[in-house]
Amino acid sequence: MVSIARKNLFEDLPRFLVAQAGIMFAVSLVTIQTGILEGFTGSTTQLIDSTTADLWVADVEMVHLELTKSLLFRQVNIAQKVDGVQKAEPLIMGGGLWLTNIGQLTPLRTFGFDPEGELFRPQTTAGSLRDLKQPYTVMVDESKLNSLNVQIGGSAQIRSLPAKLVAITQNTQSIASSSVVFTSLENANAYIYSAFSSKLDCKLEEEGVNCTTIYEKSDKADSFELAENLETPEPLSSTDAIAYILIKAKPGQDLEVLKQKLEAALPGTRAYTTAQMSKKTKDFWKKRTGVGFILGLGATVGVIVGMVIVGQILYTSVSDHIKEFGTLKAMGAPDGVIYGAIVEQSLWMAILGYIPSMVLCLGLSYWALATEGVIILITPLSAVGIFAITVVMCVGAALFAIQKVTRVDPAIVFKA
Amino acid sequence: MTNCQVADFYPIQKLVAVNNKQIAIAARGVKMVYQSGREIFHALKDINLNIHRGDIQLLMGPSGSGKTTLLSILAGILTPSGGRVNLLGEEITKMSDHQLSRFRLENIGLIFQSFNLFPALTALENVQLALKIKGIKGKKAKEQALSLLSQVGLADKTNLRPRNLSGGQKQRVAIARALTGSPQLIMADEPTAALDSRSGQRAIELLRRLAKEEGSTVLIVTHDPRIIDVSDRIVHLEDGMLLTSSSAIA
Ligand SMILES: Nc1ncnc2c1ncn2[C@@H]1O[C@H](COP(=O)(O)OP(=O)(O)O)[C@@H](O)[C@H]1O
Ligand SMILES: [Mg+2]
Repeated sequence: MVSIARKNLFEDLPRFLVAQAGIMFAVSLVTIQTGILEGFTGSTTQLIDSTTADLWVADVEMVHLELTKSLLFRQVNIAQKVDGVQKAEPLIMGGGLWLTNIGQLTPLRTFGFDPEGELFRPQTTAGSLRDLKQPYTVMVDESKLNSLNVQIGGSAQIRSLPAKLVAITQNTQSIASSSVVFTSLENANAYIYSAFSSKLDCKLEEEGVNCTTIYEKSDKADSFELAENLETPEPLSSTDAIAYILIKAKPGQDLEVLKQKLEAALPGTRAYTTAQMSKKTKDFWKKRTGVGFILGLGATVGVIVGMVIVGQILYTSVSDHIKEFGTLKAMGAPDGVIYGAIVEQSLWMAILGYIPSMVLCLGLSYWALATEGVIILITPLSAVGIFAITVVMCVGAALFAIQKVTRVDPAIVFKA
Repeated sequence: MTNCQVADFYPIQKLVAVNNKQIAIAARGVKMVYQSGREIFHALKDINLNIHRGDIQLLMGPSGSGKTTLLSILAGILTPSGGRVNLLGEEITKMSDHQLSRFRLENIGLIFQSFNLFPALTALENVQLALKIKGIKGKKAKEQALSLLSQVGLADKTNLRPRNLSGGQKQRVAIARALTGSPQLIMADEPTAALDSRSGQRAIELLRRLAKEEGSTVLIVTHDPRIIDVSDRIVHLEDGMLLTSSSAIA
């Protein structure tokens, strides 16, 4: 029958709407701030997480995905021969500069992989990975189409080399990095090292001849003049630099054992499971840069401000009805009835504030991703967590306000 | 003769039947001291009072004399700084908060100067809510609420909210609410102060009639001299002290 809680809520509609707007704002603030933090840390590793590799072999001094010393292409073959390795594939990573056909420059993060490989296969939303086999073709993340000012089939330049967009991918772009460009190993090698001239440096050592490619910045490093008489990029030679070796283990392999075998076979390297690689990269951004701290601080402040706002609204709302609750109390209503009404009211406010703000935030995160490539990550878990926070904020504030009615103040009840 | 003098000689329990007339409300040596900061204010000084069962008792006095304070204490809403209060033979000053709350629910109907109706609820719902907290729900509650509202002459206003009712009508809803569960005691603080004289008089006459039908004891705090006619007895409070007790209808 009579629910004072609900009737009280809708009694004064403008006041109700203002209060709900406040709660919505607070919930949205919490959702967006935590979503940005989650989205940021998630975005830095989504490329790693999307691979099907079991292990990543990297130089011992690797710091995070985008900061490492190079390995040699021939080490892929060595890795492939290690007992327990089903598949070893190279991954090239380097910088680059994108020049649109209207002359805008954008820094790049270039990844080279085997488009016919098995371990590194970004999802395409247009074109196919196979198309990257052709010379000077690239794939970019759909969130960067605008800033790179390119469309599928269109072309631009990477330094002095042409780049034709033949495929589009998604969910690969880290917020923290330059625009990612994917291409074949050969193309990547050409793009990354076009600004360098290479020479082979060989030493006679006990095991035989040991050669390293030494890159030096060439005279043409800063030139954007489109190269003439282009040659087809050559397949990688054994001394070409790569960044990582991705490993698929044979079924039933103990990954810890395999890691040790790989490290033994490839001195100067360390092997990581994909999860470790992901964590190392995430931790770098969270702990070794200010970004994680700042976003974490933003999220914390968001939660606190949200709590204060909701607390104030609920406190005011209970205070507005204090005479009614006092009257109930004076009449001898059991505490359960009074607390029940206040808690019910705060639950309604929590639910009616949460639902629209979640819808708003999902829309906003969709929009941010589509237009800016910024990920505001709202996972089911964080959605549930934020609902819990909302309920705790509302009910907590209401219970705090209830203190006002634990004793009836005759001054309130009998006031004219 | 004043009741206070009688009271001083008898233990409180024995007073329940003085002159063959039962005493519904008895106060002994009730004091109230308010402290705000360093200032101490004696709002009530040694109040002794007997109110007979079935009487309409007025408590009069100028503004600030302590009427509301005394009513709050007699209703068990405010704990006195000293003294004892006995209602219907039970010493409420010894009760726990929980017991007091229950006692009020079962035995006391309250009426307020500013009505204290729930603005979000209709007249009917306001009365139903009071029944609900007294454990009467559903169809039975609705029937009782409708019957009470028609007794106070509001059968055609049951679905209106307080804001659509006049002051007199609001107070009559409040009277209906106070009568839910047929309490033996009804206490009202300045029930006519917010009403024009005609509707004030109407409300009080209604209250008197219904209380007499039920045999309820009514304590009305007021400084409205127009109510004197409907009362059985009057006591005057001034500066926290009772002056005289007299029978209005001698
Ligand atoms: N909570 C309180 N704290 C301090 N003084 C109070 C409080 N309540 C009432 N008083 C004082 O006690 C006196 C009596 O108040 P009250 O019982 O409300 O009088 P009345 O109802 O006769 O106007 C007044 O002087 C008032 O200012
Ligand atoms: Mg008063």
